[in-house]
Amino acid sequence: MKFDTAVFEVQDLLYTINGTDIIKDISLVVKKGEYSAVIGPNGGGKTTLVRLLLGLEKKTKGSIKLFGQKQKAFKAWDKIGYVPQRVSQIDQFFPATVEEVVKMGRTAKRGLFTRESQEDRNAVESAMTKMDVLNLRQKLVGELSGGQRQRVMIARALASKPEVLILDEPNTGVDMVSQNRFYGLLRELNQKDRMTILFITHDVGVIADDIQSMLCINQTLLACNNPHEVLSCSEMSKLYGIDAHLIHHHHH
Amino acid sequence: MIDIFQYDFMVNAFLAGIIIAVLASVSGSFIVLRRYAMLTETLAHVALVGVAIGMVTEQNPIWVAVLVSVLSAWLIEYLRSYLGLYSDSILAIFLSGSLALAVVIVSVAGSFNASLFSYLFGSILSVSDEDLIIMLIFGSLSMTVLLGLFKEFYFIAFDEEVAQVSGLKVKLLNFLLVTIIAVIIALSIRVVGTLLIGALMVIPTISALRYRLGFSKTIMLSLLFSISAVLVGMALSYNYSLPSGATIVLVILVIFIFSMLMNRK
Repeated sequence: MKFDTAVFEVQDLLYTINGTDIIKDISLVVKKGEYSAVIGPNGGGKTTLVRLLLGLEKKTKGSIKLFGQKQKAFKAWDKIGYVPQRVSQIDQFFPATVEEVVKMGRTAKRGLFTRESQEDRNAVESAMTKMDVLNLRQKLVGELSGGQRQRVMIARALASKPEVLILDEPNTGVDMVSQNRFYGLLRELNQKDRMTILFITHDVGVIADDIQSMLCINQTLLACNNPHEVLSCSEMSKLYGIDAHLIHHHHH
Repeated sequence: MIDIFQYDFMVNAFLAGIIIAVLASVSGSFIVLRRYAMLTETLAHVALVGVAIGMVTEQNPIWVAVLVSVLSAWLIEYLRSYLGLYSDSILAIFLSGSLALAVVIVSVAGSFNASLFSYLFGSILSVSDEDLIIMLIFGSLSMTVLLGLFKEFYFIAFDEEVAQVSGLKVKLLNFLLVTIIAVIIALSIRVVGTLLIGALMVIPTISALRYRLGFSKTIMLSLLFSISAVLVGMALSYNYSLPSGATIVLVILVIFIFSMLMNRK
């Protein structure tokens, strides 16, 4: 496993709250360009794992490397685009147009006390175009449908021109048509733009054809989807009520 | 309205009013979005301790108030984020604790008089040249930071965690925002006073939010409301001999009610 191809490298990860292990013995590698689904039961630690990767929670033990660098020393956060779970819970009165939200994605990259450059404007424009929200730019995010909001949040993540996209079930409460469109966009990002994607989802069946690996998390890593372990993983999925039939279908 | 500028104290009052209207409405937008309204109230009372110390030690009360409220703001933030105490209770402790302390300091010094009273309700007509200079210096400092870090504060207000993941130093920026808010509150107590400053910081933004605009437009509207309220309030208070701080706040309230009625669903 070479450092330069690993986006995330986790070793013997342990995360404990008040003596209870929330995450333990997790070692994994997410390679550059890979589209991985993170699945597992509710409360099994999927979100916690991602939050640990992003430094939003402090690990108890183990090592986390981002782009080959120790998490503590890692500075290139603009390489990571993050779309959190709470997309549907935006305060509907929050004064933010679609464009203003997408621009947030440039904030850290621009640095303090700076004006918007042409490059910033282009990045925002192209992220909005890619996610097909350009025509909504003047609308308030609070007035958008679930599917539109979801695309706006991804556009914001894309505005910093990241190499990885991490999505934490941003599709709760989104209608079927929008969901399918959303999956199509993710596939396109992965296949056309070589974007590494880490996607926490309940819906692994639908994206089975798109993903290259599957991480089943229930406190620990249950199985990785390297070819030999496919069966155990789909069994795991069945165990947790994820539609294993569709997963199977993909491997025929 | 023109003849009110024939007196120097009216010119000072006018300038102080404009400075505070601008500072309060721009910082107020972040206060509302971050749900810091109670923090404002608390810091306003804390600033009173500074005023009391200033009066007793014969320093200019405003800059002592700036110092005390900034230090307290840091302490409050520290207690909230590191000790994990109930944040609204911390605010309650600071609010009543500092009021009590201010009253005791002033009464021990034997000067519990109209002067302290003027800091409770504001007395824009007594803004001195020295006050104005302090307001200009600290005011332009805070405004520079607010405008310079506008996009950072905005991102954090919208989604603190995503802002952190994107690489912003959220903790530091939060400390900075609270510091600026503390400074602005301390500067404002001359104009509207401890008990009324909360209104000046919160209501213009709340009113502007009713129009459901983007952020930059909301800020502009809130600025417009705030400045008009201060100007109209001062004119009314001059013409009808009404207390200035309270009149300003009532004018803002009228704007708020109007905005509510205009934007009913």
